[in-house]
Amino acid sequence: MRQVPDGTRLTRGEAWTIAFTYFTIAITVSVVHSTAGTDPLVIIGATLIVNSATATLAFAAVQASGGSAVAGVLSGWLVCTRFGVLAAAIAPRLWPSRARRAAAAFSAFDPNVALAMREDTDQGARRVYVTMSLWLVLPWWAGSVIGVIVGEQLGDPQRLGLDAMFPALFIAVIWPQLTGRRPVLIAALGALIAIGLVEPMPGGVPVLLATVAALLALPTPPAPPPDEAGAPDDQAPSC
Amino acid sequence: MLTWGIVAALAIGVYGQRAAGMAIIDPARLADRWRRVLEAMPLAILSAVTALQTLTRGGELTVDARLWGIGAAVLCAWRRLPMFVTVVVAAAVTAAARALA
Repeated sequence: MRQVPDGTRLTRGEAWTIAFTYFTIAITVSVVHSTAGTDPLVIIGATLIVNSATATLAFAAVQASGGSAVAGVLSGWLVCTRFGVLAAAIAPRLWPSRARRAAAAFSAFDPNVALAMREDTDQGARRVYVTMSLWLVLPWWAGSVIGVIVGEQLGDPQRLGLDAMFPALFIAVIWPQLTGRRPVLIAALGALIAIGLVEPMPGGVPVLLATVAALLALPTPPAPPPDEAGAPDDQAPSC
Repeated sequence: MLTWGIVAALAIGVYGQRAAGMAIIDPARLADRWRRVLEAMPLAILSAVTALQTLTRGGELTVDARLWGIGAAVLCAWRRLPMFVTVVVAAAVTAAARALA
C-alpha cells in the first residue's frame, strides 16, 4: 500500500514527522493522566473516544486546581471549539454527503486539516485528509498505550523539551503558507489576539476569537497569488 | 482523575463540535468570499495555538526555554529544512536551554 497518495503535495517526510510528533506527545499525555491517578484503561479509552488531548488535559488542569467535574467538562469542551472551526474550514473541500463528512469529523485535528487545505483540488484534499488522519490518529493511539505502560519511567517530559514539539510542528506547517502580505497578517493577528486575551479569558476562548483574523481574507485578493504556482522543489522525502 | 463518565461527557462535546462544524456547512451554497475566510481559519488557529504553546503555561504568559526552541524551529522552517529536523531541533534546543539554565 502506498504510504502517501500520489499526485498530492504531501510528502512522506511530513507524514512520518507528524506521526512521530503525535506518538511522542501521546506518551507524555498518558504519563500526565497516570500521575493524576487515572486508571490505565480509562486513559486509553479517553484517547480513543475523545480523540483530543486538549480536552482531557484541560479537564485534568481544572480538577487539579480544585474545580468541579462539571467545570472541568465544560472547560474541556470550550478548549476544543477550535476543532469545530477546523472541521468547518475543511468541510467544503470534502465530500458533498453530510454523513460522510460527519464521520470524517472524528479526526479533525490541526495538521491534517492544514495539509489537506494546501491541496489544489478537492480530490487531493480528501485524499490527504484521510491519509493524514490515519497517520496522526494511529500513532496517537499507540503512543497512549505505550505511555500507560512505560508510565513514569520516562522522567520529566519537559526535561527532554517535548513541550516544544507541538509548536515546532505547527511552525513547520504554517511557514510555507506565509507567502505574501495577507497570510502573514492573518497569522500575526491570530497570534496577537490569542496572546493578548490568554490571561483575561478562559482557556479556549482566545483561540476561538483568534479566528477573527481570518476575516482579513474577506476582500477579493488584489491579484491571483503567483507564489502558489511554483511548487517548492525541495520537498523530497527526508526521513 | 478521568473516569468513564467524564470521558463520555468530553467525547460527546468534542465530537459534537467537530461534527457540527462539518455538517453545518453547505459547500454548494457558500459564497467565494466566505470560502476564503474559512480557508484562512486554520492559519489563524495554528498561529494562535503556536503562540500560546510557546509563550504561556497554565493560561499565564511565561517566557522560558521553549522560546529558544521555537526560535530554532523558525530558523529551520525559514531555511526550508525538513519538518522532522524542525521538530527535533526545537525539542533539543529547548532541552539544552533548560539544562543550561
